[in-house]
Amino acid sequence: MSPDFASLVHWILFLPLGAAVFSALFLRRAGGFAAWFSTATAFTIAGLSLKLLLQSSGDVTWHVELAKLGEISLGFGYLIDANARLMLFVVSFVAAWIHLFSVGYMHEDAARGRFFAGLSIFMFSILGIVVADNLLMTFIFWELVGFSSYMLIAHYFDKDFAAAASKKAFITNRIGDLGFILGIALCLHLYGTLDFVALKAAAGPVVPVAVGALLMCGFLGKSAQFPLHVWLTDAMAGPTPVSALIHAATMVAAGVYFMARVSFLLAPEVLQWMAISGAGMAALAGLCALAQTDIKKSLAYSTLAHLGIMGCALGLGHPELAVLHMAMHAFFKATLFLGAGSVIHGCHHEQDMLKMGGLLKKMPLTAATFIAATLSNCAVPFFAGWYSKDAILEAAWHGHHVAVFAFLALAALATCLYSGRMIRLVFLGEANSEAAEHAHESPWTMTLPISVLGLVFAVGAGFAAHYLIPASSLQVVHESLADMHFSLTAPSTIVGLLALALGLGGALKFYGAARGADALQAVSPRTYALLEHRWMDGLYRWWIDGPQRRLAEFIAFLDLLLINGVAVRWIAGGATAALGHLTGRTFHDGKTRGYAFWIVVGSLLLAWYLLAR
Amino acid sequence: MEHTTLAHHLLLAGLLFALGLTGVLVRRNLLVVYMCLELMLTAATLALVAFSRFNRTMDGAIFVFFIITVAAAEVAVGLALIVALYRRRGSVKSDELTTLRD
Repeated sequence: MSPDFASLVHWILFLPLGAAVFSALFLRRAGGFAAWFSTATAFTIAGLSLKLLLQSSGDVTWHVELAKLGEISLGFGYLIDANARLMLFVVSFVAAWIHLFSVGYMHEDAARGRFFAGLSIFMFSILGIVVADNLLMTFIFWELVGFSSYMLIAHYFDKDFAAAASKKAFITNRIGDLGFILGIALCLHLYGTLDFVALKAAAGPVVPVAVGALLMCGFLGKSAQFPLHVWLTDAMAGPTPVSALIHAATMVAAGVYFMARVSFLLAPEVLQWMAISGAGMAALAGLCALAQTDIKKSLAYSTLAHLGIMGCALGLGHPELAVLHMAMHAFFKATLFLGAGSVIHGCHHEQDMLKMGGLLKKMPLTAATFIAATLSNCAVPFFAGWYSKDAILEAAWHGHHVAVFAFLALAALATCLYSGRMIRLVFLGEANSEAAEHAHESPWTMTLPISVLGLVFAVGAGFAAHYLIPASSLQVVHESLADMHFSLTAPSTIVGLLALALGLGGALKFYGAARGADALQAVSPRTYALLEHRWMDGLYRWWIDGPQRRLAEFIAFLDLLLINGVAVRWIAGGATAALGHLTGRTFHDGKTRGYAFWIVVGSLLLAWYLLAR
Repeated sequence: MEHTTLAHHLLLAGLLFALGLTGVLVRRNLLVVYMCLELMLTAATLALVAFSRFNRTMDGAIFVFFIITVAAAEVAVGLALIVALYRRRGSVKSDELTTLRD
């Protein structure tokens, strides 16, 4: 492979690591400098990724072997295909703007050095997953993502809820990763290699269900799919730019991207599960977003819905559509989160939507970008989100998955409903609290990123896709789109437009009346409570506190009885106690000389035994 | 006078070792205990050199160099520990350092 390509990827991958190490070692006290240093690095990486995107086409690889254990070769390398190029660009580009936003948002934070070092190490981890050419390397960077997200979610570690949320995210991810590492071991056992290209050649058309199912476990954790989705909404405890980074471009996207990369290892049964559970979760999470008053939590449920849609696209056998939706979602969801951050910043750290309102006049730029991104989120035709979301709906229809299609249609309706509610509560009407009345527009470091991401990309990424992304990257998408006869009278378009009209219109009307309270809660408190989605946490609490705790206690009891009791107390403890009783003195007197004496006695006895044998 | 054999060397090493061990067991001042420990170590290296000499291989002799190097580092750490202990507790009598019993 050309050395030029490899060195370009080296720079992209190791620049953030260098920045993170430098910030962590030298810039902990110099927060202001660390912020700009980290941001400059992020923009450099974005530029390099754009260069890589435009420069070359076709799949390129680069590999060095690090260790050879018998037949198994473990190495470090890059596999850059169309998906990887697109993902590299999206991740680094969105992350760069999030960095710039953070400069403004974290302006008053005392621990900025640590925060920006954390952002950089996060970048390093996620870029590692994108370029990795084998399962082991993916897994190592996968865990690094887990670690760095833990660190970032727990940025306000002196607050109990932040510490608990980061712990929850970390542990939930570990549960998924257990399956992931077992899947890697199974791949090694069956095919003798971990390299993606070699795996593809070795796998053949029929793959055991267990391989895909185990690898999917990692995806369930990282991409917050049912039933491991519970960590994502709590991860809102981190600073808002972190939420944008985790939900938009990076952490949750890693799972989708990885599944697309190993899609040849997924058996039909696994795909079917992903399609059904993804679509189901999309509908459920979309409805749950209606019952959240915290603006960030509502957005988090919206992310869950979109992740469900991506998982569904993977399950329908269209990984390229999943990656495309991930890219589009990255643009508009990053804008939404950053916009929410700007709103929160403007309203003096008020996150309750019921206490906002009327911000359209006070924060016009933020409002404009937020609304643009929301429309993209609702899949208004020719906005970025429409291209990918409608394509996935169409794929479901085309594949004759009626249940999946129905769930997705419900998800589309729910999306429009919660989007309309959000706009109505936050930007329209009158200010509902002191904080919202005195809201002010944010500084340019915050409005510039949301303008670029929101007004340009969330709206235009679909149009620009043909120019922005080289044909080679989009070719696979075009093929599957052409396959489905995309047109205005297609069922997906009709359903999408219906959902849009009903959802947005209905939400604006329904939530127009009540002030300072949620309209749905007023009409039907029971539905609202159900949609608050506390029962999943309750289920986990019951399971962990009940059956699992009892099992753990039983094992602890065995440990106490057999190891502590029989082995240590009776045999080891009993022998010295008996000896002490016979000689009339206690062995455990705390004096060094006594212990030394017994060591000598023991050694002599051992030597005597060994020599006399 | 009779020619010296391996047995003579080993006997000397054994005596040195026993001397050091006795010191470790009966003395109370940690500094002296520490010196006795070093004596035991020296006895072991003497045995190694003797084996090396009489087996006509260099392995043991080279090994001893490593042991001496490591022992030097260990002495530095050990003496520092004793000094730190004295500063903290005001005593280096081993009989007075019985906190671990509880």
